[in-house]
Amino acid sequence: MIKVHQLFHSFKIGKKGKEKEIPILKGISFHIKQGEFATIVGKSGSGKSTLLNLISGYIYPTSGKIIVNETDVTDFNEKEWAQFRLNHLGFIFQNFQLIPSLTAFENVELPLTLKGMETKDRKKRVMEMLESVGLNGHIDHYPNELSGGQQQRVSIARALITNPKVILADEPTGSLDSETEDEVLHLIKELNKKKGITVLMITHDEEVASTSDRQLYLHDGTLKERGVLSEV
Amino acid sequence: MKFKDQVKFVHQNMKKNRLRIFMTILATTIGCAFLIVLASVGFGIHKSIKDEILNRSIVTEINLYGKEKDNQNEELNNSDIEEIKQMEHVKAVVTRNWIDQLNGEIEASIDDRSGRIHPIFTNMEEVKKLDTKLEKGRYPNHENEVIVGYHFGKYLYNEAEKQQLQNPQLEGEMPKGYTGDLLGKTVKMTIKQTVDGEEIEKSFDFTIVGIQEKPSRDWIEDTSFIINDQKFQEVKQFIDLSKLDNTQTIQFNEVLVYATSLEHVQNITDRLKEKGYRVYSVTEELNSLNQFFFIVKIGLIFVGTIAIIIASIGIFNTMTMAVTERTQEIGIMKAIGAQPSIIRRIFLMESLLIGIVGVIFGVFISYGISALCNQIIPMILHSLTDSEEPIDFIFSYIPPSLVIIASLISIGVALLSGLRPAIKATNINVLSALRREL
Repeated sequence: MIKVHQLFHSFKIGKKGKEKEIPILKGISFHIKQGEFATIVGKSGSGKSTLLNLISGYIYPTSGKIIVNETDVTDFNEKEWAQFRLNHLGFIFQNFQLIPSLTAFENVELPLTLKGMETKDRKKRVMEMLESVGLNGHIDHYPNELSGGQQQRVSIARALITNPKVILADEPTGSLDSETEDEVLHLIKELNKKKGITVLMITHDEEVASTSDRQLYLHDGTLKERGVLSEV
Repeated sequence: MKFKDQVKFVHQNMKKNRLRIFMTILATTIGCAFLIVLASVGFGIHKSIKDEILNRSIVTEINLYGKEKDNQNEELNNSDIEEIKQMEHVKAVVTRNWIDQLNGEIEASIDDRSGRIHPIFTNMEEVKKLDTKLEKGRYPNHENEVIVGYHFGKYLYNEAEKQQLQNPQLEGEMPKGYTGDLLGKTVKMTIKQTVDGEEIEKSFDFTIVGIQEKPSRDWIEDTSFIINDQKFQEVKQFIDLSKLDNTQTIQFNEVLVYATSLEHVQNITDRLKEKGYRVYSVTEELNSLNQFFFIVKIGLIFVGTIAIIIASIGIFNTMTMAVTERTQEIGIMKAIGAQPSIIRRIFLMESLLIGIVGVIFGVFISYGISALCNQIIPMILHSLTDSEEPIDFIFSYIPPSLVIIASLISIGVALLSGLRPAIKATNINVLSALRREL
């Protein structure tokens, strides 16, 4: 489902003409199968967010290949990436990344609106999704009227509304307390098991990572397998 | 993303900063209204002058002054007239002759009333072709029949009225003249002149068979006395007895060519010029007038556009601020899969909407100001000139073409000023936008 082969990425820093190239990822390769719940664990600055951003298409690799959902996305342009993200990927962010001026309903509805779905169908689907994450009583609430856990549930609902096959989660519990963290992790795991959605999550917390089927340890730009393969 | 969803999105975004949007729309409204009102002055003056020209002259009429031959002006003769009559789209060629007053005094009398007249001899058959409406009666069929102007009877006085005119105590009180029905009346035209120190006179009797329509303007008086040109030779023979001017060689005092319609006037004028005729038509005057006012209008629209450009700076600021404020929102939208073109379109639609709403209000306001100008300026002029005459002049006129031009300029400038912020929104980096604090 997600194949990464010999992925290199480096940043240029410093003044123009005196730039220095800092390698972040040094030839990473891995394969996450369909329906797998994998975690990339690493300390701050290990390159885990960079790896996720490359798989999300927010930045481009220096070299290597990325295949998501049987599609080689390495050389996608901005337009192709936008289309691919909308149709095949779901995103869960650490800071929830909800639009403050939109209600919970409207935030979840946004991907369907971008896809051009009819209002009536959208409404039905959003209501079902909000109900499944236990937020049907908060549809008209703005993000600042919701708790952190509720905001992350809205974010999860938004990620799932287009029925993606892959969910990319960037430290989804990073802004939550331990109780809410368990709730959110339970929800993600449930979705993975019930709907067979492939989940790639990054975290610095090994306890959080332990809830996943497979853990990949990222250290100094290289990847090491630590977990046990899921029996999917 | 469906168009109605894009509109809904734009509406939601605009609602977030109502005051700022209102002020930007206000600036666009003022700019648009300024452009329209300023240019409307040019359009108004042009229309007034054009209407004045068209009202005082027959638009299908072409005046002929002669023919140019070897750099000399040659008088027109009958063969020239016949040649012109054969030309395509020529309805009629009317010739006119009148008698020089130096040759003698010409008087018309009905019963006990008489007054000086200036008879015009014309080819009545051609006049009939024009089908000009008469107030009463018909066109003459016989050389002893005439048509007269609407005010012909006004200066036919009896002896008592003539004395009244000469009485200094009654100065200012004009006699009414002949007020009865002129149709069917017999008029005696008497020509008096002195030949070899001896006063001689000759009279001709005419029957009034038609009265011309009242002139369109109140201050114009029509006292004409129009006779069939068949009578001209007889009158001229008597006139030529005079020693004062018996070398007169003018064939026609006036030659007027009438086109079948206004659209053919320019064409006939051009062809007559090619043939060497010296001509003047209302289209010639209108062409130079149109050229002059075209430049004036362009100038006024250009000055007005500066106001729109100033307003567009407001739109640019508003949209740039909107993009900056919504950076995170744009980042989120791009992160979940919004096409860059959708982001660009949403911002362009917002600036377009500001332009359209500004134009709608601007057009309404400019119509109001224009109507007010046309009411107030004549009142001011009246008070300055102490005149009681109505001022028949449009100071501000807004034709649909001006509304279209101003709308296109305003909306175009609004769109252009929103283009840069829209591109900026499209180029927002997703990661930079997502890293912003909530």
